[in-house]
Amino acid sequence: MKYVVFAVLVLIPVFLVGWVVREGRSVPPTSPLASAAFAGGTAAPEGPKADPDDAPLLALFEGSPGGAKAKAMPSLYDEKRLFDYIDGAAPLYIDRHFRRLAAAEMATADGADLTCDVYDMREAENAASIFLSEKSGSSKTVDDWPQALVGSMSFVFRKGRYYVKLTAFDKKSEAALPGLALALRERMQ
Amino acid sequence: MIGRRDVLRIGATGAVALGSVAAGLLLHAREGVADLHSLPTIKDHRLPKLAGAVDMVIAHGADPTLNTRRAIEALGGMGRFVKKGERVAIKPNIGWNRLPEQAANTNPDVVAEVVRQVRAAGASKIWVTDASVNTPEQCFARSGIQKAAGEAGATIVLPEARAFREVDVAGRILRTADVLYPIIEADRVINIPIVKQHGLSGATLSMKNWYGVLGGQRVTLHQSIFVSIVDLAVMVKPTLTILDATRALMANGPTGGNLADVKAMDLVAAGSDEVAIDAFGATLLGLDPFKLGFVIEGLRVGLGTPRYKDLKLVELGS
Repeated sequence: MKYVVFAVLVLIPVFLVGWVVREGRSVPPTSPLASAAFAGGTAAPEGPKADPDDAPLLALFEGSPGGAKAKAMPSLYDEKRLFDYIDGAAPLYIDRHFRRLAAAEMATADGADLTCDVYDMREAENAASIFLSEKSGSSKTVDDWPQALVGSMSFVFRKGRYYVKLTAFDKKSEAALPGLALALRERMQ
Repeated sequence: MIGRRDVLRIGATGAVALGSVAAGLLLHAREGVADLHSLPTIKDHRLPKLAGAVDMVIAHGADPTLNTRRAIEALGGMGRFVKKGERVAIKPNIGWNRLPEQAANTNPDVVAEVVRQVRAAGASKIWVTDASVNTPEQCFARSGIQKAAGEAGATIVLPEARAFREVDVAGRILRTADVLYPIIEADRVINIPIVKQHGLSGATLSMKNWYGVLGGQRVTLHQSIFVSIVDLAVMVKPTLTILDATRALMANGPTGGNLADVKAMDLVAAGSDEVAIDAFGATLLGLDPFKLGFVIEGLRVGLGTPRYKDLKLVELGS
């Protein structure tokens, strides 16, 4: 009996000191930023896990809509992460009940780069509201498509709950924007 | 049976055990305190004000390189700000996957000219860095800054995980932060923001540009944005600020994309007072600086003055 008591009393401090040392080595970072967005290198911060509502959003990027192909899986951003993609513009969307952004860099068949950002605004009226708020002075309306605006290096439109921003980086990719926009609109049924 | 001697032995062992635990916990607690206090802070990079020296310059002209060069010369030359052998961190806005024409990032010609001037002043090391909002490799390449600054002699520091060090901010929003190491290690820091409308803060100019030295999620910083901006401006006090207004993004900032939102301003402003520079930048966007929260907050905490016209100001025509 006395040996058992002895063993327990000797093991308790060994265990406790070991625990203290172990905890000391694995103290969580003191900075709220230490588990940073860049923890995985220079990649974009890890977004939310796709939920069933994201399936139609992600399906818009499948294949080669309008001849443009996503270079990688679109990145998803929720309300919290939206600042990590558009910084101070995020509240404009969040105030209008933004749900999810799918953003992808795409390339046309002849190698021109463009970006495609599709915002799921939950309701058509929210998408209409952000479309109006971001209307640039000199953007032109598109014939027979009042929910679309074409600007220099830019094409934006809304359809139902979605608000889409396409941005080009040269004349070649700029020429590809209307075709991509039409193809995305077709998929938004 | 447990005898008297055994009871004493067990008691002594128990006391040793409890003592060990207490000592371990005490040591652990002291280590924690030591860690918190050993975090570095970022030194004040400002230089003492020179009597009679020009405080701020606005240089107009179609050539951004020339505007930058003339602005620096009118301030007394880069030698006033950088001494031989010093290490210099240059912080443009490289936050966005955008072309120079889209005016979301600092103009690459302005950055390259600053690098050349710093190099000519004898700097031993020149870093150009930013914690991009969009994918960094795309931002650094598409902005044209990686190529222009690299060719001018700068070392480009991408915001990889290993490029950040934790520092003590002691701010009202952030207590500590992960900051790009060139900002911590440099002898001199030069801020080169671009003029942009910003959906939340009204404008993004020089003080707001310090968001781009931090790792981590941005959402925390946007909850009290004017306080956050000024907290960071207190954290990093640059030697020199060069405001790029070659083109200004007048709407849909800070991301932009549509050239219809861009206005050619063809000017560069330079000086050491970030509040003054931001007050001037606000006027370019048609904003009243005295109604801009972070300018007023910057004035309140003593970072500078929004009355830039009261400074020794030189305006250079094209």
